[in-house]
Amino acid sequence: MKGLLIKDMKLMLNQKKFFTTIGFIALMLVSVAKDTTFIISYMTFIGALFTLSTINYDEFDNGNAFLFSLPVTRSRYVAEKYGFGFLMGGSCWLFSVLIAAVSGEVRKTNSAQDTLLIALEIFPVILILLAMMIPFQLKFGGEKGRIASIAAVGIVFVVCIIAAKAADFLKIDWYALLDSIPKLSWGATVAVTAGIAAVLLLISVRISICIMEKKEF
Amino acid sequence: MLKIDHLVKKYEGFTLDCSMEIKPGCVTGLIGQNGAGKSTTFKAILGLIHRDGGKVELFGKDVDEFTVQDKQKLGVVLSDSGFSGYLDVHDIVPVLANLYDTFDKSFFIKEAQRFGLPMDKKIKEFSTGMKAKLKVIAAVSHQAKLLILDEPTVGLDVVARDELLELLREFMEAEEERSILISSHISGDLENLCDDLYMIHEGKIILHEDTDVLLSDYALIKVSSSQYEKLDQRFILRRRRENFGYSCLTNQKRYYLENYPQIAIEKGTVDEVITMMIRGEKNYV
Repeated sequence: MKGLLIKDMKLMLNQKKFFTTIGFIALMLVSVAKDTTFIISYMTFIGALFTLSTINYDEFDNGNAFLFSLPVTRSRYVAEKYGFGFLMGGSCWLFSVLIAAVSGEVRKTNSAQDTLLIALEIFPVILILLAMMIPFQLKFGGEKGRIASIAAVGIVFVVCIIAAKAADFLKIDWYALLDSIPKLSWGATVAVTAGIAAVLLLISVRISICIMEKKEF
Repeated sequence: MLKIDHLVKKYEGFTLDCSMEIKPGCVTGLIGQNGAGKSTTFKAILGLIHRDGGKVELFGKDVDEFTVQDKQKLGVVLSDSGFSGYLDVHDIVPVLANLYDTFDKSFFIKEAQRFGLPMDKKIKEFSTGMKAKLKVIAAVSHQAKLLILDEPTVGLDVVARDELLELLREFMEAEEERSILISSHISGDLENLCDDLYMIHEGKIILHEDTDVLLSDYALIKVSSSQYEKLDQRFILRRRRENFGYSCLTNQKRYYLENYPQIAIEKGTVDEVITMMIRGEKNYV
């Protein structure tokens, strides 16, 4: 696993220009934008998604065939991809929380505590996105994977619209329904989101392992 | 070391059904035309493709039960796949060091330098020959018990090919029990390196012979039609119609040399044996 992580780190270091640009954009945003918390979701998302790029790198030029002839099992490969996504997302999250907190305090727009509270809500959401996207990337690869991910988001959107129309037709009042749910405290909201993220990640890992087990190189 | 028992893999229009054995301390060659099933066999051994039947045992263990520790005993070169082109040789060192417990870093770097591989250049910018050298050096750098090499010398010039074959000989000499399974379309490489050879054609093994026997006992007999009629055809494996009469492949050169001193008998080379085994018609006498 460590060897694979080093490989992905080395591949990532090849993208120095990309990360410098992202870092520069982040600094620009924190110095001009009122809502510094946006930068946290932006940076964390970009960081976590780099694991999808490493899947592309591995597949390029039939590289997977050689990769899986090394002492690497398919399940360990999957675990490494999630681990790498978590590490990268986590690092970018920490960095962005730091600059957002400092900027918020200096510019008196947000307190460091508020920034941290919002950041804690953002991280599980990014993990949920990661859990949704990795299986698509492994199943369909590069361009197809991206199209499949977009298609999946589109399907979720269409399902939501249909559900809303159906609710209108059936005269179900969504707002009343939501109001009837007992209000959760901030801590409980974070815990629930983190719990959902953990469950979705576990399901996603299982699906990804199944996808990889079936693949031929 | 490696035992393949009726390994079956079916594709549309192609079925591989292959049995072979690689013994400890032996270099075994697999020869065949493009599309004969060499790479499919290699990939099935390595678990890169799923089998439709048969059994593959490596080090006495079913390959389906192979662990990371078991895979450390293998050194692999694939003809159509290698390290990511976006890495350089320096990047590869820590990757291999963390994948293989027995990776010999100083040996790897020394050999990379000996073969003139640039350490800081991206692999995608390497020539075909450089890529081939890197793959072989990586395969022999971690004390593997078995090397599985699919076309390792492809794209190399004569000198570089000799150097690589020498590296493989050194690998074999370092430990008695080590083995190599190698495929190459350059028969000269296999003649000089292999202890025994398997020939594969349309997914089936059509010949298995010790290289020494193949080079000493196999011969090409060239006869006119009338000479062919009088020839003892019991030891003719394949025959082919020619302008002058027949070309015949035998594995009993001495018998024909002693009994038919007047006919033309040429020493069998791997290329000629392959050609006759594939293009020639079977002799049913």
